[in-house]
Amino acid sequence: MRESYGVVLPDLNLAELTGKLIVIEGTDGVGRSTQINLLRPWLEQLGRAVLDTGLSRSELAGRGIKQAKEGHTLGPITLSLFYATDFADRLENAIIPALRSGFVVLTDRYIYSLMARAIMRGLDPGWVRNLYGFALRPDAIFYLRVSVDDLIPRVVFARGFDYWESGMDLFPSEDMYEAFRKYQTALLVQFDKLAEADGFEVIDATPDAHAVFRRLQEGISRVLSGEPRAPLFAAEAPAATAEKVKEKEGKPGAQASGKESDQEASR
Amino acid sequence: MKRYGEHRFPGKLFVVEGIDGSGKSTQLMLVHQWLRAEGYGVVFSEWNSSPLVRDTTRRGKKRQMLIPSTFSLLHATDFADRMEHNIIPLLKAGAVVLCDRYIYTAFGRDVVRGMDPKWARGLYSFAVKPTLAFYFRVPLEVAMKRILTGRAGLKYYEAGMDLGLSDDPEESFRLFQARILEEYEKMIPEFDLTVVDATLPIEEQQEQMRQHVRAKLAQAKRLRVAP
Repeated sequence: MRESYGVVLPDLNLAELTGKLIVIEGTDGVGRSTQINLLRPWLEQLGRAVLDTGLSRSELAGRGIKQAKEGHTLGPITLSLFYATDFADRLENAIIPALRSGFVVLTDRYIYSLMARAIMRGLDPGWVRNLYGFALRPDAIFYLRVSVDDLIPRVVFARGFDYWESGMDLFPSEDMYEAFRKYQTALLVQFDKLAEADGFEVIDATPDAHAVFRRLQEGISRVLSGEPRAPLFAAEAPAATAEKVKEKEGKPGAQASGKESDQEASR
Repeated sequence: MKRYGEHRFPGKLFVVEGIDGSGKSTQLMLVHQWLRAEGYGVVFSEWNSSPLVRDTTRRGKKRQMLIPSTFSLLHATDFADRMEHNIIPLLKAGAVVLCDRYIYTAFGRDVVRGMDPKWARGLYSFAVKPTLAFYFRVPLEVAMKRILTGRAGLKYYEAGMDLGLSDDPEESFRLFQARILEEYEKMIPEFDLTVVDATLPIEEQQEQMRQHVRAKLAQAKRLRVAP
């Protein structure tokens, strides 16, 4: 059953949202869009309709955010709220309708990047959580993680430094390289905290894109077949697992329904 | 955010609230004139006026693209910009800041549009608590008469047409405002709003307002600047 993070939007029936919401998170330059470009055709070949979406692309606020950032005049609360507006627009006008139609929604970042940036800029984590309380809980969050040392050549050699990716608003007296290091290091710390709190599946993004792609394929296949994720931080009690296996063995038809949750255990 | 809350800045913040047609803007304008004549540094800040967000809001309204969540968040963005860049620096500098509408307007409208009341209150927790918040209480029919005679056609969101209460703008506006009035009534005890009877003659309301404001300014003599 679909859930939100605490607040349900007006006129929204969560039970209608039968599609799958899959989030690819990770810091700047980690290869998220490369992966989405590989995942989409793969999913379509499997016969799944796909919506891919990302940050600051909403019809409503996308342009305004871009303009405002060019001026570099946004305060931290204002910037967070502007991003939240953009997110809400995409959630309600793109993600929710697609989920209602049974699509697989692949989103290049979700609320976690926005939350990490806001907390980095000194905003109260409780306030930030409340702000995104209307967001839907995803079916899976894949976090592509690399160290800052691995990140630098990827970003710098691909497209140079960017003002915001380098946190120049936070470290204006540093040069772009020093600011980038400081900002991305602190951002990784925030992501690691969120990874634990929100149950991210961490994928080491240091190997080549194809290895990362295979890991994502495995994870997404599992989500699509309705299998439970491998427990991350607490092992399931062995007795309970055994019981489920037994139950499953007695019901050979359960596998076909796809919605039941224990195929992995029964294999 | 807890960063602000009950502020200790040397300035003072007075806000007026009420439905359209309650006469709050007229009253605030008269207070503005009076304080300026008295030699205070007074600055006026209007709801929904941040240049940064204006284009997006205008576009969203014109094309009727706004839904309850984005309506709410976009107004919060606008408010945050004014708070961070305008209201707080002015209060730090010791100014008297006057706001025509404040967070209570957002609470009323957002909740009537179906947003969660607690969520909305949390959203605006970064706002500075006003020195005084006046609520101009007026019966719906009185406000309607003032509005509909003095104004050309109602706009889509102004009339609450997005709520689908009625296809007739005037009827939609009436139903929308009636619901907002209910929200205001709940907010009076919650936020300790200072109620002014907005059916009284203008000069009587103004006298009441000035008494309340004067009492708060008495503790802020150093605000005085040379006229």
